[in-house]
Amino acid sequence: MLMPPFILHHPSTVEEACKISAELIKKGEDFDWVSGGTDLLANYKWRINTKPHVISLSNIPGIDSVSNLEIGCMARLSSLEGSNVHPMIAEAAGKVASSLIRKSATLGGNLCLDTRCFWYNQSEDWRRSIDWCHKADCGTGSDCRVIPNQNTLCVATYQGDIAPVLMVLGASVHLIGPNGERVMPLSEFYQLDGMKKNVLEKGEFLLKVTLPKDSMKRIGSYQKLRVRDSWDFPEAGVAVSWLEGDKGSIKVATTALESIPREHKEEVSQIIAEGWDDKSVKALAGAIRKSVKPVNNTALPPNYRRSVVQVLVKRAFSQIK
Amino acid sequence: MSAGYRQQPNSARKDGKRVAGKQVFPPPGSGGSDPVMKERDLNFIPESVGGKEPQPAGSHIHDRIRTGTVIGKPLPLVDSNAKVTGQAWYGDDVRLANESIGKILRSPHHYAKIISIDTSKVEALPGVIAVATGADSPHSFGVLPVTKDEHAMAVEKVRHMGDLVACVSAVDEATAIEALGLFEIEWELLEPVFDPKKGLEDHDDPIHWRGKYHLAKTNVQKRVFQEFGDRSLVENPFSSSHGKWTMAGVHHGFTEPHAVVAHWDPNGRLQLYTPQQVPHYTHRALSTVLDVPMHQINVIRTFVGGGFGGKSDPFPHEMCAAILARKSGRPVRITFDREEVYWINRGRHPSNIEVKMTADDEGRISGFDIDALIDGGGFASFGHVTSYYNGVLATAPYELGSFHYTGARVWTNKPASGAMRGHGAVNTRCAVEVGLDEMAEEMNVDPIDLRLANLLPPHSRTITGFRITSNGMREALERVREGSNWDEKFRKLPLGKGIGIGCGFFISGSGLPIHWDPNRFPHATVHIQVDMDGGVTVHTGAADIGQGSTTAVAQVVSEVLALPIEMIHVRSHESDTSPVDLGSYSSRVTFMNANAAIRAALDIREKLLDAAWDILGYHPNTLIINDRRIYYKHDPAIGVSYLQALHKAQEDKGALISSGSYRSPPMGGVHKGAAAGLAPAYSFSAYVAEVDVDIELGLIKCTNVWAAHDCGKALNPLAVKGQIIGSCHMGLGQVLSEKMVYGRTGHLQNANLLEYKIPSIHEMPHVEPIIVESSDPEGPFGAKEAGEGPLLPILPAVVNAVYDAIGIRYNDLPLTPDIIFKGVEKKRKKLKLEEATELPSPRFTHGPKSIELQKSLMKRSQEHKKRDLARQKTEDTSPYVNGVLFGFDPNIPLEDQVEGWRMATEPDPEQLAELGLAGRAWLKKEQRQMESEK
Ligand SMILES: Cc1cc2nc3c(=O)[nH]c(=O)nc-3n(C[C@H](O)[C@H](O)[C@H](O)COP(=O)(O)OP(=O)(O)OC[C@H]3O[C@@H](n4cnc5c(N)ncnc54)[C@H](O)[C@@H]3O)c2cc1C
Ligand code: SF4
Repeated sequence: MLMPPFILHHPSTVEEACKISAELIKKGEDFDWVSGGTDLLANYKWRINTKPHVISLSNIPGIDSVSNLEIGCMARLSSLEGSNVHPMIAEAAGKVASSLIRKSATLGGNLCLDTRCFWYNQSEDWRRSIDWCHKADCGTGSDCRVIPNQNTLCVATYQGDIAPVLMVLGASVHLIGPNGERVMPLSEFYQLDGMKKNVLEKGEFLLKVTLPKDSMKRIGSYQKLRVRDSWDFPEAGVAVSWLEGDKGSIKVATTALESIPREHKEEVSQIIAEGWDDKSVKALAGAIRKSVKPVNNTALPPNYRRSVVQVLVKRAFSQIK
Repeated sequence: MSAGYRQQPNSARKDGKRVAGKQVFPPPGSGGSDPVMKERDLNFIPESVGGKEPQPAGSHIHDRIRTGTVIGKPLPLVDSNAKVTGQAWYGDDVRLANESIGKILRSPHHYAKIISIDTSKVEALPGVIAVATGADSPHSFGVLPVTKDEHAMAVEKVRHMGDLVACVSAVDEATAIEALGLFEIEWELLEPVFDPKKGLEDHDDPIHWRGKYHLAKTNVQKRVFQEFGDRSLVENPFSSSHGKWTMAGVHHGFTEPHAVVAHWDPNGRLQLYTPQQVPHYTHRALSTVLDVPMHQINVIRTFVGGGFGGKSDPFPHEMCAAILARKSGRPVRITFDREEVYWINRGRHPSNIEVKMTADDEGRISGFDIDALIDGGGFASFGHVTSYYNGVLATAPYELGSFHYTGARVWTNKPASGAMRGHGAVNTRCAVEVGLDEMAEEMNVDPIDLRLANLLPPHSRTITGFRITSNGMREALERVREGSNWDEKFRKLPLGKGIGIGCGFFISGSGLPIHWDPNRFPHATVHIQVDMDGGVTVHTGAADIGQGSTTAVAQVVSEVLALPIEMIHVRSHESDTSPVDLGSYSSRVTFMNANAAIRAALDIREKLLDAAWDILGYHPNTLIINDRRIYYKHDPAIGVSYLQALHKAQEDKGALISSGSYRSPPMGGVHKGAAAGLAPAYSFSAYVAEVDVDIELGLIKCTNVWAAHDCGKALNPLAVKGQIIGSCHMGLGQVLSEKMVYGRTGHLQNANLLEYKIPSIHEMPHVEPIIVESSDPEGPFGAKEAGEGPLLPILPAVVNAVYDAIGIRYNDLPLTPDIIFKGVEKKRKKLKLEEATELPSPRFTHGPKSIELQKSLMKRSQEHKKRDLARQKTEDTSPYVNGVLFGFDPNIPLEDQVEGWRMATEPDPEQLAELGLAGRAWLKKEQRQMESEK
């Protein structure tokens, strides 16, 4: 498969990266960020939303740091496995794709992963034959193939593994761009729909992830559902953590079930309010099942994915008791 | 220093100058790289001829030509160095000077008429070299002479999304891709058919039109009816089972995508490089499509990066490359993207299969009814044969009271199905083996004992008349039972853990060469040439597709001539230099080519022995041929080196040349379709699989497989084990995760290797390969196939193991987690259980009757074991036909013994109403019949 042509920019500092993006915006030229490229380049080869410019972050020194309180966006997933980061992060990173892909894949790319859909992750010829999809081929005026007869929303699925884990550890993300830096909890970073994906403004990129001091005290579990134990994206994922013995600290997040990964604060606080007992995990599992709304655009059917969320929640909790 | 070709010391004149023509011919060396002859390896010389190799299955006609050199020894494949060092040249590795890049324009529609194609803009694009459309290729072709329904590019209409419409060659790939966007095509959309059931109905525009042979206005490509045996046995069964299966289509998933390079050489001959399993059919098809005699085409088979049946049709893109190259006078290279590999497909047919079985109170299988509706996609491919195989290959290894089969293959607007490892036999085999398990459960007997008490013996005939020679089925079952510790586990494991059995039966070479009369031409021919250097060049058309056919041919020649394998050079790539071979399908290559190679090698061996006789004065009967030396049996000091004997044999004639061929013996019945499934030998296999089922999530993990396969004789145990393990992997894919998903709109949703889920190394169980050697009387050194048969049993073994684990029968393949989950939920709700983990595990529930039956089955299988051994060793040579178990006399035609013994290939009118889904094709009439009735 042939890579479509684009101009590659290789800034060597964060400032230069911001400058290039600002200039391109000024000239009205569109661009993408690229880190490991394991997601972006595959989509480019399929000619999905290609841009004339690509800015690579891989030449910027110092943004690949790995420690238990801070992880740079260019940290390779392979360097998270077996490092001193929280064991849940190491575990989730180790479950992403395959060992070969994890050598290139980065944390920044994982968090900013494009949403997926089997009407969308297809070659140009293929998409032409369905008369295009709304997300891949904006401007054709075409419909969404998953939920037809509406063409303003995309329900493509976010299938990253690490976001839910970082959410239950209370992580924050640092975004930087021509207008400066901003920080926010990761659980506020994602934004509907499947096309918008997150709050990044044009020209902004995710610089690093920071974790609260008490995060290392949290114990938790990440449950990933997939067909094959290597390569496969999650079909559903549940992360759970708490400060041992402190039910008020329970956090639960899900991934691969909707267009964004999501922390389930409401469901958790409601169950806790009812008084935490033996049956609470089951009740919480049921509440989360009710709240998630998967659609038919991944390998396994949505009814199934939704049902087994309960099992994943239950199993995650059984690991932390 | 060993003797070699040195200038003789006395051959110079006193003045130091050499005497012309007076050199003494130097003594030849030994040939080979080791100067010392190796000892005869008696461990690999059969007992029957004085060696130490045990022969539990008796002696073999080839024993006397065994030399202990390589047969039976684990040997890395001779081309493995080229592969592991990256030097093997696959299709896309061929780079010719001045090449151009070809790309194919594919249909964006499922089914449409082409009203017009305007290529003017394409031609005007700078960098475009040649453009071609269906108008450049009016002649049709197809792998089977009876169903030539393909064109290089669509003529008149496209039949599936991805069907070839036009092609273009350009200076580079980017230009070629750009050019594809410039074709202007006017379409008229037609109503597509996706559901094979709809294919049975009349349609305004059938996908193909077969004139007077067309079945009404349906999309039925082929229908089959077969009924054999005593149908009265089916009434009032003691036990029965009924399975209605839906099996998704699967693809071969070979590593190398298709690629082709075409070049018309300066003399105007076509040189076509392609990774083909069956280069000869491509050769024929090219000749037809291009209107060029075959001798003006040289088909060069590159290394083949896996085929499994998916590279055995002549392909339209091969024609496209040749057409573009002819138009432009420049070499053209076309390499597929993975997606295009799925468009051309030829994978296993999506199937709707219904199997009904009955047994009588003695646990004999009285009825065996199969109905198979298979989805052929847009073209016929091998489908004619598949339609038969789905029924006839399911009958053995069992003795049946009756057999009833209705099959239909329909065209739909999807990529064409075709032949895939285990061609036509895999899906019904799964359904049948699961049906047997179900009956065993109903009768409360052990499913292995049920099988052991119903096996056909060696040297017998199946219910449809196949001639069975060697048969290692019983041993295979016994060995997996023992190896897996079956008796301690079956129906005894805790919930979520299970163990299951499955058997297999497969042809070892199709008995009918598709393109000619087997009575006139041999199936396979091999040429051998030995020149003065002593190296042996073997010319064969056998296509090595990774299965190791080159190694097998080299091995048998090495064995017969007692030469180290590195002295055997197999040349098999070019049609210019290799004798015609039918190719690598139907597991025919080792059986047929190795047999031909043995014959050719025997001819050379005879010449060498005669020469040694000349030199030594001892008759060949008293000579031993061992590692590069021929010597007197009673005094090894008296002997000649191989090269001495060779050069003696070459006196007056130069290089030694020989030719050997293989012909199949006459076999099988005369009824319509009798040839389908006929083979000179059959392989047998039995697997036990163990699984863990995550009952809450529906995930299945296959943990262990004991895999016994009867390959007659393992010429190369390493290769046989590799085939067994590889087959397990491939079959596991089909049973657990692989499927071609056609979505709501009929599009193939997963034409890539991320979403088409081939198991990874993580999903592989521990496989214990168990080689069973039944020594086939006609196989080369006793060998039969080991390439396809080993795939069959893994599917039912897993499905049966899942039942043992959670007590639920599944009839949908693959067993993806959602399917398992659905079944579990259904049962949980039915039993009103809170949690899935409370489901009951299946257990034996013996009563006095079943204990009685179990005992009688075990007794019968003990008796049959003795019977089989006597027949295997040809101590008992009486005829045996299917039916003896039911008390019939094998010496009298069955139809004379039983009133109503059926041997029908068309239904009786009164049967029509009761036929199954595929059988409904018999409700329709052919056009010629409709005409004549008008
Ligand atoms: C076969 C296969 C299997 C996979 N399986 C999994 C899996 O199981 N789980 C999983 O989570 N992922 C999986 N992936 C996806 C991907 O490999 C990983 O998510 C990876 O971490 C992405 O990182 P990257 O650096 O390669 O991203 P890139 O491809 O470089 O970028 C991904 C996206 O993020 C944007 N981006 C990258 N860096 C930044 C940044 N710093 N700031 C803002 N935007 C940025 C890019 O513009 C692009 O849109 C799989 C991919 C493949 C090809
Ligand atoms: S969800 Fe709809 S719009 Fe989004 S990628 Fe899929 S088909 Fe396109």
